[in-house]
Amino acid sequence: MTEALAFLWPPFLVAVCLVGIHAYFGIQVLARNVIFVDLALAQVAALGATVAFLLGHPAQNLATYGYSLGFTLLAAVLLAFTRAWAARVPQEALIGVIYVVAAAASILLIDRAPQGAEHLKQILTGNILTSGVNEVLVIIPLYLAVGLVHLLARGRLTRSGSLLWDFVFYATFGVVVTSSVALAGVLLVFSFLIVPAAIGVMFASSLPRQLAIGWLAGILTSAAGFAASFAFDLPTGAALVCAFGSALALAGVVYPFIRADRPRVLRIAVAAIRWSTAALIAGTALQLAAAPRADQPLLDLLEYAAPSLRNLYFTNTEAATWRDANEYAERHRLAAAQLIELERVRRTQGDTLSDAEMQRISSFLKSYAEMRKGEQFVLGEVRARARERIHWSLALGLLAAALLLAPLPWRRLWARLFRQPAG
Amino acid sequence: MGGVTAGGALYRLVAMWRGRLQLCLCFGAVWVLVQSSPLRAQDRLQIITTTTDLRSLAEAVGGDLIEAVSLVPANFDAEEYQPKPRDVLRLKNARLVVRVGLDYDLWFDRLLQAATTHEIQRGGSGYVDASFGIAALEVRGVSLGAGDGHAHGSGNPHYWLDPSNAEFITANILAGLARIDPANAGVYEANRQAFLTRLDRKLTEWEMKLAPLRSMPIIAYHNSWPYFARRFRLDFIDTIEIKPGVPPTPSHLAGIIEAMRTRGVRMVVREPHEPERDVAFVAAKAGVPVVVLAASVGALPNTGDYLALFNANVAALVAAAAR
Repeated sequence: MTEALAFLWPPFLVAVCLVGIHAYFGIQVLARNVIFVDLALAQVAALGATVAFLLGHPAQNLATYGYSLGFTLLAAVLLAFTRAWAARVPQEALIGVIYVVAAAASILLIDRAPQGAEHLKQILTGNILTSGVNEVLVIIPLYLAVGLVHLLARGRLTRSGSLLWDFVFYATFGVVVTSSVALAGVLLVFSFLIVPAAIGVMFASSLPRQLAIGWLAGILTSAAGFAASFAFDLPTGAALVCAFGSALALAGVVYPFIRADRPRVLRIAVAAIRWSTAALIAGTALQLAAAPRADQPLLDLLEYAAPSLRNLYFTNTEAATWRDANEYAERHRLAAAQLIELERVRRTQGDTLSDAEMQRISSFLKSYAEMRKGEQFVLGEVRARARERIHWSLALGLLAAALLLAPLPWRRLWARLFRQPAG
Repeated sequence: MGGVTAGGALYRLVAMWRGRLQLCLCFGAVWVLVQSSPLRAQDRLQIITTTTDLRSLAEAVGGDLIEAVSLVPANFDAEEYQPKPRDVLRLKNARLVVRVGLDYDLWFDRLLQAATTHEIQRGGSGYVDASFGIAALEVRGVSLGAGDGHAHGSGNPHYWLDPSNAEFITANILAGLARIDPANAGVYEANRQAFLTRLDRKLTEWEMKLAPLRSMPIIAYHNSWPYFARRFRLDFIDTIEIKPGVPPTPSHLAGIIEAMRTRGVRMVVREPHEPERDVAFVAAKAGVPVVVLAASVGALPNTGDYLALFNANVAALVAAAAR
């Protein structure tokens, strides 16, 4: 456990650095409305690396990096020009074209240089978990230099219209993205770029405040993502991306409470929650009435969370069958695990298993898998039958619950139905 | 007027003859080339294999009588290969197709559907599934649904990495060749026997060289090595990848590094196409060397055929263990 924590902090440090520079660029990118420019630049950089491969340069070589940089700068020139056409064609369209053409061109080239295929994938997928202090030592000076350029030329860069300053913006951004995508992958870099910036822009209007909020949100979300990856044993990059998505959703929910008239928003929120819950329950009721043997996601989820719920509607026989099937399934799993372990051990210890013995083990494993499947079928069948038995009463009960939960104007309906004749 | 017509006719005649002359020269050149080779290319049996390993083994059996082409180029990940239009053309001329099977080259099924030749379809006389008769390792049940570990429910497909399995693979290829070319069955049988004798001698040599590595714990990136491990009694204790394509989680990585320290892992094995940085990270944490092994013929410079593949891998392992 301490081991895992010990090597989670260097990637966390990398994440903090990436959030630092990308939150700033994200705000710029949002203001310029060129959301997917990082994907285009990363893909062009990958194309550059592919060309370097084709010319015989090894990976992680100065020449390869030079080609990447050269292609990125070319793309920066193109991107700087796109603003000229933006009046008639949205810039995003041209950015999309740069992205797909760069991706397609890499595929065409890789057909001629197979050793580049996996490297291209790596350039674009990255793995933040295995990045460390060495990478931090490279990116910190780079990002400080880029930050300095932007600080000195902030007036010209943020509200620019000239070709030269647009080029400087895209070129510096390209340098940053080329290095960060190789570390963290396209998905994660996009999250670093857009989510903290969006949260910052949502809650503040001046650049320093937007930056401060974005950085804080980005660092806290990264920490939460790393913690989730550690606690639930999830691949780190994917966990981080989902954490950033959740952070944006949370910010979206919090936003109206801060900005608008609070009691009214609260009323709407409660009503929305009641409506959606009621709709979910009513949907389950209808599904249960129409097709009791079909999947019932809500009921399955409840039973998964609290298995004792089954006792409420299983008969004694059903409960016993259920227990038996579960027990047997577990027994088959264990038996299979023992055989697998035996085969592993015998690879290096004692006499090797002969091919005939190996084939016997395989056929036993197949049988155990089949038998486990059989038990799982029994489990499903028992539950389906039990549900079929009670489906009308349960469906009616759920429907009633849904009606009660829905924020319908009960009093007014009541008045209209029963008091009207008197009035 | 007439002169012009006559001149035009002459010019046309010369032009025509020049074309023919060039054509004749071309044919002549091709003829000489073809005659100088022991067997004319169009007379050789065209064999298509999915991987380079099977190509090498097919060449060992077929010798000069066949021309084998592998659809997946060397150093490509055969499990993720996407067929190209030229592959359909290649299948058109093929008399025999040889595939790995065990769900390794599933894309080949779709490609076969596009081919019109009847004989090379599944069950036809020109169709060989090289895995026939192999004692598969890590069979986890029916192939539907993801099991744990390798995604292949019908067994780990990297069976060619056990040199003893070459006996089955070449037997399957021999049976296929004898079906489509019964006249030369004797030649194929003799080729196969000669190859197996050579392989047997080499196998003893490899086993002797790898004997000091017996039970030495090793970490790999992808689970390609169970057959290799079983034959040479090596102990691949874990893989960096959790499942094919799923990057490691923090605790999985921590577990691997912990195991490397406690069990004294001496090396981390990577294939040329696998992520360099992830493997280097793990190896550096435990202070052990990274060994690049080829899981297929041609994946590394000095692995030109099936025997060279094992020569190179054995040498690399021995060198790493000596460090």
